[in-house]
Amino acid sequence: MKSIKASGIGNPIDRIEGHLKVAGKAKYASEFPVENMVYAQGVNSTIAKGKITSIDTSEAEKQNGVLAVITYKNAEKLKNYPKDMTNFSLTTVAPVFQDRQVHYYGQYIACVVAETFEQAQYACRLIKVTYEEETPDIHLDKNRGKAYKPGESADFSRGDMDAGMREADVTLEQTYTTPIEHQQPMELHAAIVNWNDGKVKMYANQQILNQATTSISETFGIPKEDVQIITPYIGGGFGSKLNVYKHITMATMASKMIGRPVQITVTRHQMFTNTGMRQFDEQEMRLGAKKDGSLTALAHHTTSHTAKNLQYFEACGNVSKMLYKTPNNAVTHRLIPLNIQCPSSMRAPGEATGSFALESAMDELAWKLKMDPIDFRIKNDTQVDMGADKPFSSRLLIECLRIGADKFGWENRKMQPGTNKKGNWLIGYGVSAASRRAPYMKTSAKVVLELNEAAVNANIKMDATDIGTGTYTIVAQTVSEYLGIPVENVKVEIGDSEFPVTPGSGGSWGAASYCNGARKACENAIAKLKKKQNITESEEIEVAELLQQNNLTTFEAEGTAEPSEEYKKHSVFSFGANFTEVWVDKDTGMYRIKRMVNVGSAGKILNPKTAYGQIIGGLTMGAGMVIAERTQVEPNYGNFITRTLADYHVPVNLDMANIDVVFLPEDDKIANEMGVKGIGELGITSVAASIANAIFNATGKRMRDLPITPEKLIEAGLEPGVA
Amino acid sequence: MRPFSYTNAKNKEQALQTFTKTSHYLGGGTNLVDLMKEDVERPDQLIEVANLEYKNITKNNEGGYTLGGMLSNSETANHPDIRKNYPLLSMAMLSAATAQIRNMATNAGNLLQRTRCPYFFETSMPCNKREPGSGCGAKDGMNALHAIFGYSDKCIATHPSDMCVALAAMNAKVEVQKTDGSSRTIDFTDFHRLPGNQPEKDNTLEPGELITVIHLDEPKFSDHYYYLKIRERSSYAFALVSVAAGLQIKRGVITKAGLAMGGVAHKPWKFTKVEKYLEGKKPNKVNFKAAAEMAMQDAKPFEGNKYKVEMGKKAIVRALTQAFEREA
Repeated sequence: MKSIKASGIGNPIDRIEGHLKVAGKAKYASEFPVENMVYAQGVNSTIAKGKITSIDTSEAEKQNGVLAVITYKNAEKLKNYPKDMTNFSLTTVAPVFQDRQVHYYGQYIACVVAETFEQAQYACRLIKVTYEEETPDIHLDKNRGKAYKPGESADFSRGDMDAGMREADVTLEQTYTTPIEHQQPMELHAAIVNWNDGKVKMYANQQILNQATTSISETFGIPKEDVQIITPYIGGGFGSKLNVYKHITMATMASKMIGRPVQITVTRHQMFTNTGMRQFDEQEMRLGAKKDGSLTALAHHTTSHTAKNLQYFEACGNVSKMLYKTPNNAVTHRLIPLNIQCPSSMRAPGEATGSFALESAMDELAWKLKMDPIDFRIKNDTQVDMGADKPFSSRLLIECLRIGADKFGWENRKMQPGTNKKGNWLIGYGVSAASRRAPYMKTSAKVVLELNEAAVNANIKMDATDIGTGTYTIVAQTVSEYLGIPVENVKVEIGDSEFPVTPGSGGSWGAASYCNGARKACENAIAKLKKKQNITESEEIEVAELLQQNNLTTFEAEGTAEPSEEYKKHSVFSFGANFTEVWVDKDTGMYRIKRMVNVGSAGKILNPKTAYGQIIGGLTMGAGMVIAERTQVEPNYGNFITRTLADYHVPVNLDMANIDVVFLPEDDKIANEMGVKGIGELGITSVAASIANAIFNATGKRMRDLPITPEKLIEAGLEPGVA
Repeated sequence: MRPFSYTNAKNKEQALQTFTKTSHYLGGGTNLVDLMKEDVERPDQLIEVANLEYKNITKNNEGGYTLGGMLSNSETANHPDIRKNYPLLSMAMLSAATAQIRNMATNAGNLLQRTRCPYFFETSMPCNKREPGSGCGAKDGMNALHAIFGYSDKCIATHPSDMCVALAAMNAKVEVQKTDGSSRTIDFTDFHRLPGNQPEKDNTLEPGELITVIHLDEPKFSDHYYYLKIRERSSYAFALVSVAAGLQIKRGVITKAGLAMGGVAHKPWKFTKVEKYLEGKKPNKVNFKAAAEMAMQDAKPFEGNKYKVEMGKKAIVRALTQAFEREA
């Protein structure tokens, strides 16, 4: 029955919604035409800690077009955070204006609603606020005494770490630091909300609809069924659109109060203060190894910060539990509450930063052992996830490293740093190993078949989202594959919370979950049609013929796919290896990434074109971690001085290299029936280490604090043992 | 944004006559409009001058060229006469911002860019330049991007332009129209000012004065030039430190030198003493290193920008070396 292979899975077809996007016809959250709509705009606090003593809104209220100014004085009573520090989860409520307290700089303290965006924005400037200011906790160093353990999962230990260190011939103890970073997707956070008769319908760019509707319903105390979110297209998320943020609450409250649909767009500046971030991490690594390169001990201790009233931590140390064979292992995470907004998930939370520390430390230890860093990693390979005490469903890390080395020309690397020179340039090669959990979750979908002459059109519906990753295309390819119809005959409808429930886009689970859900719906449709005609399951028959035999012109079926028992017994990961060549200017501290090779083993590749896009995006974001991405906190006031994309430096085209991406064939049926694994986060993982390791190989300078800027490179000294 | 009125000036007379104390001339708007959105600039009136007739590049009587103030940075930097005669200027201009911004930005507007100091941009923070008397947040705050030369107790901001660093090295002159109809010409080094007690004033323009043209001397550095810009990414980033170096070399001896640095002071920092030192010397590493030491000896960095001293020295040596070694 799979007669039309050309458009099924595995083919590098163009995005099916690509034309709509380039033609400007794909509608994003803020672009829906809604009658009678008004505009809301948030006002941010200009202190980091204290109490509002007065808010004078009279001047703002007098302005043309201004309909309302909402503050703690007239705000709707909402469900607030629990008194104790609560985990910032995907369903956490998003209360706003519930009291006078200010917990961080940029917290919303008022919201103006007006007939036009410009009127709202102007009126925001006329609101006068006074505060009773308190000294905010801003510095990590000054607040170390407040560090606490955020739950039982924060710590892990196996064997005897100290004994492992004693047993080692060579040891390494180093600290690595990574700055606050921001997701900053191109599309600003935005929503159009209509509160109508106790029910809420909104266009809002949320990555996970089924969790967002829970958060909104709980915040306002209304049934979940009365909240609908529509978001057919999302212009990037990188984690910032996972949670429901307070602009959604402001617009919903405004719509309820005014009785009209309300549009809100978070400004680029507010995207720094109000929609999440990756936190600052300080990672202390302790490693020991025998002369032959076998690891005897590995410890990974992370200190970072969280908000004063919400708890979030990224598990930087998890990578050190599973990547290498380590008889003695210790991992801890500590948090320090600061007057800075709550951190959140940013692409590969834990892995992106944790792998920088681990894979830099592995490179350092290899250098001390005088061992090739690839050989060192291969020496410590494991087919068992020692942290979880489960076998990996598949693990091709050694193959990734070997094939990558070959493709990259690793044999031309000079072991001694500073010896590969060309004019004013110092050339270096770096490598790192990458791993990222490949989750798979329960997913439902509904498929509607229509017979049109001899052709079958299929319409698939699910509450999935496409955050720019290619969901539309891979779901269409899946339906094409499992129904045996051309991809052009598949219509994909996603981005509506009223469609069958999926886990949404995040955590690299989207592709595997969505496609298996779609597969199951298609398989159910065919099975039911066969059953009606008493056709055996194994018989090959075109779906058009099935409909004809059933005398049907239309037929629909639902399906739900979920992880198997085998899945639960295994650790399911994607693996990869990154290779980078950098050219560092010997005097100015500027450098260029010349080449990158990324080899991944990430299950079945549904569409090499969209998959390639994911990886080069990840590599670029990983390069951004090294080149210049950092949000700087003003030490006296607690605000981010990095406040626009002119100051928050992401890589430009000229910064990036020739990129070679290789996917190794992998058939992992334990991961899921289709063998699909996530790649959205694999691409960013350990990229930073491969670049930093290349910089060491070029210069002999070990850079342990990201980003690696020209001023840091100029000031850094040479490592011991480098001539 | 706050409400403002807009006038599209048909000629310079109209522009000058329409000007009031709270007006702002509008060129490409690549900096001014951003600052209005940030609520930093709050003009009552914008007078669009980008369409005035000063859009040409012509030869002047002194053997040099005159650049129209309203010509775009792209058209100027890519003009064949500029590329041939003033490649240092072209190189500096093309290192700035992005192609899109250079297409919009005017030459006169480039001179009037305001600092990128984060305290200037954030209206809730103290900044004497934005709000005289409110204090300087950068002095005891984040000052990695700030001045190491010529700052005052009131302000340690830097001027962000690349074009102006080259113009300082080249001894350009700025011609301005006054509201009374007369005009005056200002030496480039006198155009921008140090902060002193009035950091709100970036330059020596009187209220209402309109930059019409920029005069360039007879070309001297068309064979030996280099603009080195050290920055955090390869494009679309302001300089941490930049150096404009021009050398005129005859029979193995430097006969004329132009040397200025960006990212280190409230104005493009011209090393007049070092230029004189280099003149009559041989273009070699020893002399370039001595020049760099001399240039940076008066630097007084802050906690966050100590790196600029070493970086500045290395940048000067590199820029002079590149200028010298360039194939004529």
